[in-house]
Amino acid sequence: MSDAVVLTLRGPLDHDVDAACVAPDRFAALGAREIAELPVWAGRTRARLGDFFAVEGERASRVRVRGDVARVHALGRAMRAGELDVEGSAGDGTGAGMEGGTLVVHGDVGHDAGAAMAGGVLCVNGRAGDNLAGARAGESRGMTGGEIVVRGAAGRDAGALVRRGLVVVGGAAGAGAGRAMIAGTLIVFGTLGAGAAAWSKRGTLVAMCGVSVPPTFRYACTYRPPHLALTLTYLRRHYALAVEDDHVTGEYRRYSGDLAELGRGEILEWIES
Amino acid sequence: MEIRGVAIEDTFAEAFTMRVARLVITARSPRWVREAALKLTGFATSVIGCKCEAGIERELGEDETPDGRPGVSVLFFTMGSDDLPKRLVERLGQTVLTCPTTACFDGLPDSPDRMTVGRSLRVFGDGFQASKVLGGRRYWRVPVMEGEFLVEESFGRQKGVGGGNFLILAESADAALAAAEAAVDAMAGMDGVILPFPGGVVRSGSKVGSKRYKGMIATTNDAFAPTLRAVTASALPEGVNSVLEIVLDGVDFDAISRAMRVGIDAACVGGVRAITAGNYGGKLGPHHFHLRRIMGDEGAGGAGSPPRPQSATAAAGAPHRSDAGSGGAPPATPPAGPTGAAGSR
Repeated sequence: MSDAVVLTLRGPLDHDVDAACVAPDRFAALGAREIAELPVWAGRTRARLGDFFAVEGERASRVRVRGDVARVHALGRAMRAGELDVEGSAGDGTGAGMEGGTLVVHGDVGHDAGAAMAGGVLCVNGRAGDNLAGARAGESRGMTGGEIVVRGAAGRDAGALVRRGLVVVGGAAGAGAGRAMIAGTLIVFGTLGAGAAAWSKRGTLVAMCGVSVPPTFRYACTYRPPHLALTLTYLRRHYALAVEDDHVTGEYRRYSGDLAELGRGEILEWIES
Repeated sequence: MEIRGVAIEDTFAEAFTMRVARLVITARSPRWVREAALKLTGFATSVIGCKCEAGIERELGEDETPDGRPGVSVLFFTMGSDDLPKRLVERLGQTVLTCPTTACFDGLPDSPDRMTVGRSLRVFGDGFQASKVLGGRRYWRVPVMEGEFLVEESFGRQKGVGGGNFLILAESADAALAAAEAAVDAMAGMDGVILPFPGGVVRSGSKVGSKRYKGMIATTNDAFAPTLRAVTASALPEGVNSVLEIVLDGVDFDAISRAMRVGIDAACVGGVRAITAGNYGGKLGPHHFHLRRIMGDEGAGGAGSPPRPQSATAAAGAPHRSDAGSGGAPPATPPAGPTGAAGSR
């Protein structure tokens, strides 16, 4: 048993690799040889994890991935526990379907990061692609639990169809952020693209840099939402997110909607004092 | 044993197992934190007449509260496990929910025994309430005229200890009060302990039952009442003209022991003749706080230790319970009758 399992990319990749087998809770029961034998897809070809990564350590629920793995997809898919630390950027589907544990990506992540996530924590120090925390293709619900913190920007449809959980985007979010949210919370510190929160049933979209409010939302009041002070303080303490005092103590415009849907959602727009 | 000329009697305080919750109340400013906490803990001196005992444990800085606002932690005690959520729902609903800008959080998040207090309070929202889950904990947003009241869904409950106590036997009322104030000041803000009585001090210690009135479960502790020295079996040493008591409820035995040590030491000032404690002879409460052990060796004198010789009160044939635990009655005895007038609990 080792302190951690370290996967080091053997060399630059000229094709995509689907490495859904990389999950700390699975590695916790496997020896180094067994880990190296785990199946991966290299394009349309079956391969072994050991073909692309040198494996150090065994039987540990802490996993480190070294090298530029931006073309390695599905890292930490459906992981249930443990820690997965990716030193660079990761590909699409990172942390999709996660149920527990902590996944930290120090670079960027591709599309569908945290899609249909059910629990655990996904931290991305860089940017995220489209459909962050969204639904998997053909499914009606996105994230159903857990927390996602992206320090940079996110692409289109961040937080779309989220059912439960917390999604934080430190930078800008593309069009369709919080689209058709069922519940949960999406906080965007940067600018928001068009169609934010449209068609949402419940859920909270927090806009720190203004928002184009859909016509099917109605202004309710200007106030200090107590749960937001709690959430922002939590983000400061647990994720060391640089949240300004004005955001924590400031006032927000509350818009209720989408009135073309259930109408129990809200947009909270921070007012710069 | 003496501390600065004050005798520490060879006796013990006898306390009971209670159920305790810790609440964290926050608000926009210390003013409203204090208003909410005082209302919440008001009329909560004794389970005999108040059904619960509560007090402010300590003030919390902005870096200690979940939402980064000023706050206090409050400890809340009942005798029965089922009573605790009932009392909390009653009191939070009437005092904290109603108070401007407040929010209420669980202060025992690691306790596996949970009470769905916030879940009960949420229905004040009449269907307009909404919840948020953060870090695995659920919070309810209850819409109110001011804006929103935020309350955590469940609160932890654990066993605590109620009725730690010591009595200050002084030459004058002024000396007793000065010593009591010094003790309370010294114990203020100690973790895990509250002093549920006014200003932390009790002047009306009680004994179990009555010599004259059948309906009374607690009446004045005549053995320690200086005005009755000549007409009752007094337990007061010569020169003692006033007695005040400090009562402590705590999250565990050690918390009370630590506080008693600090409080007793602070109470040993000029004009104080002796420090003693209230007990039932060790037969009713499982937690015994032996004064000399506490003052000699911090944390010693644990529960279940064999009773030492009876206190002066018991030896004088007037078993007294100045206030510990159920306030002059065994904990199994339900509060009944007009108790507030005579008993301190």
